Amino acid sequence: MIDADLIALFTTLKMAAISTIILLLLGTPLAWWLANMQSRIKVIFEAIIALPIILPPTVLGFYLLIAFAPQSNLGQLWLQLTGSPLAFSFSGIVIGSVLYSLPFVVQPLQRAFEQLENHYLEAATMLGAKPLDRFFSIVLPMTKASFITAASLGFAHTVGEFGIVLMIGGNIPGQTRVLSIAIFDHVEAFEYAQAQTLSLSLLIASFVLLTLVYLSNYKKVNHQKVSR
Amino acid sequence: MTELIIKLTSIKNTKATSNNFTLAINQCISSNSITGIFGPSGSGKTTLLRTLAGLEQHIQGEIIFNGKTLLNSKDKIFIKAEQRNIGLVFQNSRLFPHLSVHENLVYAQKRSQQNTLSLDEIITLTELENLVSKQPSQLSSGEQQRVALARAILAEPQLLLLDEPLSALDQHNKIKMLTLLIKIQQQLNIPMLYVSHSLAELQQTADNLLVLAKGRVVEHGNIHQVIQRLNEHHTEITISQQTSLSLAIKQHDQTHGLTELQLDNQQSLYLPLLPEKLYPQGKKIRCFIFASDVSITLQEPYNSSIVNHLKGKITHLNKPANQQQKHSVLLGIDCAEQTFYSQISLMSYKKLNLKQDSEVFIQFKASAIKTLTNSTSLNHIITEESSC
Repeated sequence: MIDADLIALFTTLKMAAISTIILLLLGTPLAWWLANMQSRIKVIFEAIIALPIILPPTVLGFYLLIAFAPQSNLGQLWLQLTGSPLAFSFSGIVIGSVLYSLPFVVQPLQRAFEQLENHYLEAATMLGAKPLDRFFSIVLPMTKASFITAASLGFAHTVGEFGIVLMIGGNIPGQTRVLSIAIFDHVEAFEYAQAQTLSLSLLIASFVLLTLVYLSNYKKVNHQKVSR
Repeated sequence: MTELIIKLTSIKNTKATSNNFTLAINQCISSNSITGIFGPSGSGKTTLLRTLAGLEQHIQGEIIFNGKTLLNSKDKIFIKAEQRNIGLVFQNSRLFPHLSVHENLVYAQKRSQQNTLSLDEIITLTELENLVSKQPSQLSSGEQQRVALARAILAEPQLLLLDEPLSALDQHNKIKMLTLLIKIQQQLNIPMLYVSHSLAELQQTADNLLVLAKGRVVEHGNIHQVIQRLNEHHTEITISQQTSLSLAIKQHDQTHGLTELQLDNQQSLYLPLLPEKLYPQGKKIRCFIFASDVSITLQEPYNSSIVNHLKGKITHLNKPANQQQKHSVLLGIDCAEQTFYSQISLMSYKKLNLKQDSEVFIQFKASAIKTLTNSTSLNHIITEESSC
């Protein structure tokens, strides 16, 4: 693997790790809010969050590019706060990744929160546990498997993205040049051997990660069957 | 003395209530022991308990507990459930499945506002020594409910609410839990509100009884007096008519296998022998006799195998209130300052030509006297009531 590819790998992992942390911090309250929402408006929010699943990444990338432009409100605000533009920056691709991978984190968490019986939370309340205490002592351990699934899917999806990064990040080594773009570059330059190395690495890594996710779910389902 | 003032005027539609349900209660409960809450399904027992616990938020009215306002909808005061220091044992144990029995108990102890109870003492008291390392899924329903009770106690509530805690248990575990509840109440002195649709359970545990029907309080007072009133007057609450008594143990007659209870200075009642260790001489026990188990004679029954017979005067004559009992008559007979109830057929009533103030003899078998320890008979009663 050449140095440029190692830098791309490092950028990819950094982007995926930061995005996953933000996704969990943002996705958990969002999923909790949706799981407990009684109003019919809920479906509109669910549809908005699910959009990246069916939308071509270039469409999301195009609108983000407009939103991130230095002349846009968001772009100007970011420029004033940080002193650097948002478009074609590492921060930009992290924001793009978070939006793009949001449904992969929110949906499993929302399902888990919906299935979690309110009975346990009431019991904890009657023992004097306050809301945050209840979340960390009851909700989190009881939905641990769903958090692992959500984090893994969010991470893997971020590693694998291409369209949005290309639209809003460009191809700046050490900044926005991630593995998927590096592969594209190698193919364009007819460097099939390098492309093959990176592609196979990604393929194996993704396969291993997904197998681990399904294994944790398999164990959970079997444990529940035995418990019954 | 714990004092609970409840003034509830209405409840909006919530998950726990149907569309037209209204809770209209204006009641003061003062007790340091167990107060039973009795009523048919849909009478508002569970909703009342959840409201007191703070789990129902859509409620109008006022709740004051030991001088502290927990709810005042006019002044928009609502103390959150976790801040009320009220415990609740639910119908199902609700043990946290990701924690072991020991961890479930520690969970409550850590969050207790006082933290004065010893974990080991409570484990011993609730007989959980052999279960602490187990997971909740490995326990039987009776064991789970015992852990739930221990967990609720370890939170050291000022008031413990029990919402039909025995309903999911088999007969053996019901008796065990009832005995445990009484022991805990006596040792730790926690005031309890105990909801049940089984009068037998409440008769054995509660000192006072609050009776609910359609979201309103229809009776409140001493358990024996309330049961007496339910026997005689009520049409909206149907119970198995019975004589409810608290009597002291006079002696245990090992030769004949009988325990003698002191009714007054001259007269005694006999029931099958109770274990002397649990029931020492002088100890007061709760017992009840179904009216259908008590018969009437006009002459003293000297030559009868039936061990209990008392002389009395008819003070109450009640024609059947419902269709099911239309061929029977309920008599209230005063004997030794107690009112005993006898349910006889309309035919016998006419044949004996019974009237108000008639002097009669009542008789019933030793086995007709039901107590908590007399488990076989209580099993039968609880089963009978559950199936009603």
